[in-house]
Formats: sequence, structure tokens, C-alpha cells
Amino acid sequence: MKSGLSKWYRPWHPFVFVAPLIVGLFLFRLGPMVYAFFLSFNRWNIISPPVWVGLSNYVELFTSDRFLRILGNTLRYSITYVPLVMIIGLGLALIINRRIRGIAFFRAAFFSPVITSAVAIGLIWSWILAPRFGILSYLARTIFGISTPAFLAQSATALTTVAVVTVWRMSGYVMIIYLAGLQEIPSTFYEASMLDGANAWQKLRYITLPLLTPTTFFILIISIFESFKNFEIIYTMTRGGPGIASTTISYSIYQNAFVFYRMGFASAQAYVLLGIVSLLTAANFLLRKRWVKHQY
Amino acid sequence: MTSRKLITRRVLVYIILGTIGFVLVFPFLWMIATSFTSGRAIFRLPPRFDLMFTPQMFDNYITVLRDYDFILYTINSTVVAGSAALGQIITCSLAAFAFARMKFPGRRILFVLMLATMMIPLEVTIVPEFLLMMYLGWLDSWAPLIVPSFFIGTFGTLLLKEFFENMPLDLEDAAVVDGATSFTLYRKVYMPLSKAPLATLFIIAFVNNWNELLRPLLYIDTRRLMTLTVALTTFQSEYEARWNLLLTGSVVSIVPLLIVYVFMQRFIIEGMTHTGLKT
Repeated sequence: MKSGLSKWYRPWHPFVFVAPLIVGLFLFRLGPMVYAFFLSFNRWNIISPPVWVGLSNYVELFTSDRFLRILGNTLRYSITYVPLVMIIGLGLALIINRRIRGIAFFRAAFFSPVITSAVAIGLIWSWILAPRFGILSYLARTIFGISTPAFLAQSATALTTVAVVTVWRMSGYVMIIYLAGLQEIPSTFYEASMLDGANAWQKLRYITLPLLTPTTFFILIISIFESFKNFEIIYTMTRGGPGIASTTISYSIYQNAFVFYRMGFASAQAYVLLGIVSLLTAANFLLRKRWVKHQY
Repeated sequence: MTSRKLITRRVLVYIILGTIGFVLVFPFLWMIATSFTSGRAIFRLPPRFDLMFTPQMFDNYITVLRDYDFILYTINSTVVAGSAALGQIITCSLAAFAFARMKFPGRRILFVLMLATMMIPLEVTIVPEFLLMMYLGWLDSWAPLIVPSFFIGTFGTLLLKEFFENMPLDLEDAAVVDGATSFTLYRKVYMPLSKAPLATLFIIAFVNNWNELLRPLLYIDTRRLMTLTVALTTFQSEYEARWNLLLTGSVVSIVPLLIVYVFMQRFIIEGMTHTGLKT
């Protein structure tokens, strides 16, 4: 390329190199996306041929209380997950951002839930939170004398519980990204503030947090996306229940397509999910200028 | 600060770290402890791990591994995740090499397209993907678990592209003078010098595929083809109250990854932070 030598590749060579990626991209990403869009205007149970029904899947979605509740659940899950995982992740990063003996061990331990499958995590938390025989309810009863709710079996708590378990799983991940951001802040800022006699809170408020805004923005986007991929943990912990109390769009797509065999209806929901994801991304990038102040 | 103050501070930091560490790791410890509990003791309070340090200590493990075929599921998961990860290395390194070192029409568009589809949740494309697999006659086989992640690796392509771009061009010049073509350059110069990022990519792809649930759940019906995750959820629906065996199965599903993690945590953590995405 930039070398002065004659070209070392023929014009068609690069296409051979990218061929597998192109195949993958079109066969498993773009192709299915286009096809899902087409499907969303059909009624189809896989057995009999698909029937074109126009917008009726979308009409059904937005006029059914059931789907509006599912939509509400999806947003509620995100609103619980995103701020919590960011605050806890930042807290962990601030605590772990120091050079002391054994810190690598703690960092590895804090990160370990991230590499564990949602299934294993869902199972262990279901047992910890189990009514009566779970360790949490036992300790609450014997030490504090209070009775705990049936976290996963009650409509009021099921969704929040699943979201909080996911926070537990992913906060180590947010921690690591924040840690990278913290270590990029030039130490001269802190040295200057020491001379001015700033205390720990002032340093956090006026140096660390403002200089972290690009990282925060990045984590915000990642976490929002992460919050929509909740099928696995919901499948393991609640199967969307009780009733539809913890059913989100991700779970509902699976349920409609592969339990009720409503391929078109499921595809319409997939497009609603895609719409939400794209809208949030666009909004994030537009708002970014307003609050990402310091890019050094 | 006086040195005594410094020491108290340091002790305080360790206490805080230890407490948080305990809270974060407690579920794992509890899972391991429960795996040493017999079916009789599992619904007894206060909890007692009655098999711990007895001759029957590993009874649950023997039951799960032998009677419930978890040895087989572990092998299945290893083969599936290993093949998918191997595929990612090949596809991503090829594409990354072209993006980093060659010019071709459509390069930018292709790259943007790849990035744009990166954020799309699997749930959006899973219905047509299922239909495609059905059309290809791949249902109830490992092909749908391996082939899509074999061919798609956005994160890996980004990681390797950046790495390749930072390699000195002199290497290339020297090789080209010797008459190397693009393929020999890729194979003989770039790949051997990229062992670290390739290892990172392999491990991350392996972990992700090992943990995947949606695809195995949809595509695998035959018990003997199941991976660990889907075997666990099946086991969960069939033996709901047998927590000791369920959690033993969970331990079995986690241990191989944890062993890899202990030795390769640097690669895993840095790789996962690098572009902030997991696949």
C-alpha cells in the first residue's frame, strides 16, 4: 500500500480475503434482517404456507394490552439494569484503581461472573433466592426476623430480581472498561488539585467524573444494548413468568416463534426491538455533544 | 501521612476489597457447597453440606457425570465452542488482513456494514435464521451452532485489523522483495506474528460459544447432541427440585472455563475491554 514497491496483490485478492465475512454477513445478518421484515407482514405457522396480512401484526401488537405490558417490562428491565450496572461498575473501578499487592487477584475475582454462562448464574441465584429453603430467605428469617418475598414467583418482584442478577453478572465488565478510562486520566490533573488542597470528593466530582464522560458514554451505549439481550437469564430463571410479569421482547420473540409458532408475529416484534435499539443509538449520538465535554 | 496512618488505610482497603469480593464470589461458593449436599439434606435448615469430607463426597459429581451424561455434554460443548472459535480466527484474520493492508472497491461500505450490524441482538434475526437452517436441513445437528459464528466475527475483525495496522510495513517490503504474494504474506508473516491477539480472540469466542443458550435450545433435540447449557435447562425442567444435582451440573459447566480463565485472564479481560464488545 504505502510501500514504494510494486503492488504485491492482484485486484481480486482482497475479495478472496473478505469472502467468508461477506458470506456470513449476508447469510446470517443482513439476509435474515430483510427476510424478517418481509415475514412481519405475514401470518405463518410454518406448517401451512405464509399468508400476506399487511400491517395486521403491527396493529395487533400495539392494540393488545399484553404486548404493551411486555414493552413496559422491556423498558423497566433496562431502566433497572443500566443505571445500577454503571454505578456499581464505576464504584468497583474506583476501589480497584490502585497499585497494591494482590489487586490483580481481586480484579480477576470481580470479573469472574462475566465469563460464566447466564444459565449457571440463573440456576445458582434461583436456589439462593428460593422461597423458604433459599439461603437468603433463611438468613433474613433467622438473623433479622423478616420474611422475604418469593422473589421469582411474584409479579411485583420477578422482573427486577432478574435485572439485579444480571447487574451482579455484568458489573465486573463495566468495572474493567471504567478502569481503562481511569488509567487514561493524566496524573497531572490530580497533582494540580493536590496543590489546591482538593479533597477526595472534590477530585471525584471535578476531575474524575468529567474526564470520564467519553468512557461513560461508551458504557451507556454498551449497557443499553446489553440490557435488551436478556433472553437467556429470563429463560433460566422465570420463563417469562409468573404470567407475563417478566416477559420482555427478547423472550416474547422466542415464545411466539418457537412455542406458539407465530413466525410473522414474532418477526414484527423483532422489528419493534430493532426500532427501539436504533432509536436509542441515534438519540445517544445526538445527545453526546451535550454532555461529553472533555475529550483530551 | 504518617506510616501508621498509611497502614491503617491499607488494611481498610483490603477489608473493603475482601467484603466486596466475598459478596461477588459468594454465589459460586454456595453453588460448590450445595454440590456436596445429598438429596436428603438439601431441604433441611439450617443448611448442612452433609457429603463434605465424607467418602461419599463426590457422589453428586459421579451421578451427574455418569448417569446424567454430563461427560458427553462437556465434550459436545468443547467441540462446538472449539470449532466455532477456530472458524472465527480464520474468517476474522482473513478479513482483517484485507481491511488493514489492501485497497479495494467497497472496502469502506463493507466495513461500515459490518459495524452497523454488530449491535443487532440475535433475537432480531433468529426467526429467519431458524428457517434458513430448516431449509438447509441442518436442524438437530451442530452445524447451526458452529457455522454462523464461524463466519461472523465483528469484534475479532476489529481487533485484528487494528493489530495488523500497527505492524511495521518494513516486514511487508522485505517479504515482497523476496517475491511473496498476498497469501504467503498473510500466512508466513502476519499470522505467526499475531499469536497474542489470535489467542485472545480464540478464547473469547470459545467462552461466548460455550455459554450460548438460544441456538442450542432451538436447534438441538437429540439428547446426545446437547451442549452443557441446554442440558442444564432440560435437566432443570425435568428434575425441578433436585437442586444438589442441578448445581453440581452447573459447577461441571463452569469449571473448564474457570481453569482457562485462571491461566488466561489477562488475555480475556484485555480482549473483552479492547473494543468493549464480546463477539
